Order: sequence, then C-alpha cells, then structure tokens
Amino acid sequence: MKIALISDVHANLEALEKVLRDIEKEGVEKIHFLGDAVGYGCDPNKCVRLINKHCDIKLLGNHDYAAMGLESLENFNYIAQTSIEWTQKKLTDKSIAMLADFDMSAVFLDYFLVHSSPGTPEDWDYILGVNEAEEQFSRFEESVCLVGHSHLPTIFAKKGENKTSIISKKAIELNKDTKYIVNVGSVGQPRDNDPRACYLIIDTELPKIYYKRVEYDVEKTQEKMRKAVLPDFLIDRIALGR
Amino acid sequence: MPEIVVKFDDKIIERVVSEKKRISIGRTGDNDIVLDNRGVSRKHAQIEFNGQAAVIIDNESLNGTFVNNRKITEELLRDGDSITIGKFTLTYYTEGKREESSAGLDGTMVLNTKKQRDLIQSDKLEKEIVQRMGGSVLLGEENCDFSEYRIDRDVTTIGKAKFVHIHARGFLLSGIQAKIVKEADQTAIVNLGRKSKTKVNGEQISKQMLKNGDIVQVGKSIFRYVEGSR
Repeated sequence: MKIALISDVHANLEALEKVLRDIEKEGVEKIHFLGDAVGYGCDPNKCVRLINKHCDIKLLGNHDYAAMGLESLENFNYIAQTSIEWTQKKLTDKSIAMLADFDMSAVFLDYFLVHSSPGTPEDWDYILGVNEAEEQFSRFEESVCLVGHSHLPTIFAKKGENKTSIISKKAIELNKDTKYIVNVGSVGQPRDNDPRACYLIIDTELPKIYYKRVEYDVEKTQEKMRKAVLPDFLIDRIALGR
Repeated sequence: MPEIVVKFDDKIIERVVSEKKRISIGRTGDNDIVLDNRGVSRKHAQIEFNGQAAVIIDNESLNGTFVNNRKITEELLRDGDSITIGKFTLTYYTEGKREESSAGLDGTMVLNTKKQRDLIQSDKLEKEIVQRMGGSVLLGEENCDFSEYRIDRDVTTIGKAKFVHIHARGFLLSGIQAKIVKEADQTAIVNLGRKSKTKVNGEQISKQMLKNGDIVQVGKSIFRYVEGSR
C-alpha cells in the first residue's frame, strides 16, 4: 500500500493542487497531512478545504493553531506574526470548524505522525540536527516518526544503541532494526534551496520511502501574494526555496 | 405584621415575619436574620419598630447598609424599601402576606428550605475554590473528568481531542469544540466546531463574554463558570 505524506502547505494553493494531482498519478491509497495548512500564503480557506477533503489523518501545525487564536503570537517572528494576523482576518468560520477537528498527533500502522516533535507536540520544537533527533527517538514507540515543521526533507536514523545519523538520500528502504525520524518536507514553502513542492511517499509493503518534488506555477502564487499585500520576504522565498 | 423578604442572587431564601420590637441582622448565628457571607459584619444592622414606624440602623458595619441603593446610617423604612447588605437584598413590607403571617413561638418565623441553604453554601464554596485556584474556574457539573478547571491561560481549549485543556464529551463534538479566551479584563467563550454546539445558559453561542455563574455546555459536558476577581 502506498501512502502520501504532505505537510506545511502554508496556504499555497498552486503547490497543493499540483501535489494532489501528482499523488493521484502515484496510485496512492491514503494521504496524511502533518500540519500547517495555513500561514504565509494567500489561500488559507481553499487549502484547508482541499486538505480536509483529500486527507485521511489531518494534523495541526503551529500556524494553524495560532490562526485559530489558540496561542499568543509572541513565539512567532515578526513576519510570521504579520502573516498569521492576515490569515486570522481571512479564515472563515467554516475553515476554523474544519481545523477544529484536526489532531495533534496520530498513529498509523507502525508510523507515528506529528507536526513538530513526538515528545511534546504542543511545544512546537524543531528537529533540525542529530542531537535534537537523538533526544526524540525515545519519545515514540513506533519504528518511524513522520514530521514536518522545519520544511527540510531530512531522514534521521538510529540503529540500536548507535548514534543518530542523517541519511541524505531521496529514497531508502526501511530496515527492521532501525528507527527513523523522517521530515517529509514542505509543499508550500520548501527551504532546502529547491523551490519545487516536496512530499513523501511510503510504500508500506517493502517498506520504503521516497521524496517527490513537483514543479508548480510559483509566479502565479507570488502575484497573488503581492495582491494580498503579504510581506516581500515571504513572496521572494518561495521562488528561492529557502 | 411587618415582613422582610431576604434574597440572594435574586432568589428568595428567607421570609421573616416578626412581632419583635427589634430585629438584628448580621453574619453570626445569634442574629434574628443571619446573612452568612463575607461582606456582612457580625452585627451588621438592626431594624427597630416603634408602633407603625420601622427604622433601620447600620451598626458602623465595614461594608455599609444601603436603602434603595443609598448608603444610610439610620433610615425610616417605607413599604417596599429595598435594603442591601453584602450580596443580600432585604425587602421590607409593612404587612406580610396573610398566609405567611403565622409567627412562630419566639415571634419570628423563618421559612427555609435545604435548597436555599445550599445556595449560600455553594457561594461560599465557590469563593473558597476561586481563592484556592487563584483565579477564575470552570466547575465540572455533568459529564466532566474533573470538578474544577482553572482558567488561567490566555486561551483554554475545550473539546474531544486528547491535547485540549478541558475534555468534553459528546458524539459529534470536535477535537477543539470551543476556546475560552482572556480579552482585556474579561473572559469570552468562542465556539469553533460546527457539528456540535456550545451553549451558555441554554442559548447556543458563537462568542459570548462569560459572567459569574454562567452555565457553559460543550457537547454533553456541563460546567459552571466562577469568576475569579470578585
């Protein structure tokens, strides 16, 4: 069975639509969403609706949580605050009601799904390096933890008592004796110097995982963001992929 | 015979019909009318009868005695006058109703039901809880995991999800069905989910400021809001 994992859409409708079309071609059985449907981009309501419609497991990200008014904006940088305040004005009651049914974490087969980190999901900690990953390996029972949040497609592996290592491959077969933390990358705002939308596919039979990159009309998104008067920094970064 | 109707939170808790020349009012049990609540002095005030005239005298109480919302030291009472002492309202009638005018042996008749006593008791308990919890609380009344929930965050979430602050029950309840938010010096409840409802005092709401004593219903769970800074 093939499963698609998407995360960090950030209200980028063009990227999400292209990714959903690509997923359709892959013959995927289920799509799970790891959070941050909104924030940064200019189509929060359409993205929430599409994610709600197409995804099976739907998780909340810190931007969704803040856009629903569940958290103070103090922990966000100035640009993120601006975009969340913009999103709060645009987000309809219907979208909020959909997000209200998104979860904070979920378990699917032998996979633990969470937006930020398995230890304390609501603290929104980043897993950026091996040290942070090392701390998190003991915090989930399953073999694989799938996360989003950093927008950096990364595979952390820990075999037995060995130190955590980073596997820099686009596709790997999962070993039975190894635990993994896999960041599935970002659909709407990649930050690994590749502006193409990123998502992950799991083939649960083998089992193996592989990233997919999908081109979308970045300029169209940028034009819409300009019209929406979102910060230039956010408009520029989606073309740069960082 | 004159009658004094004692109310607390707009509910009648006592009717006092007396033949006495003097009725004492205060917090301690040796008064003719016992108002067991903070804000009431031990010997707060007294009403003295002289023929047809009734005079209320404040005994230099800490929080004062008010007649028709005016602070008094000594005042002639007229039929229907409203006396406020602490959170209690006493209404003075020159003639009590016929059926309630049969005075007891000591000349004072007090009608008191368990429910009326409970009302004052629960107010005392609420104050204790608010003091102990250090702020506003939701008291779990029905289908709740706990009897007390502190409302001290900027945002408190209520719903079915594991991660919310207050778990509520109900079949169609959303993960986060509602949130309670601090807004300036007020507290508001906002409904978020659509398949189930949030109600305040039986009315479905999308957003409402909470007042002390409000009954909050989220799905099948029922809470009572007790304001902290009273």
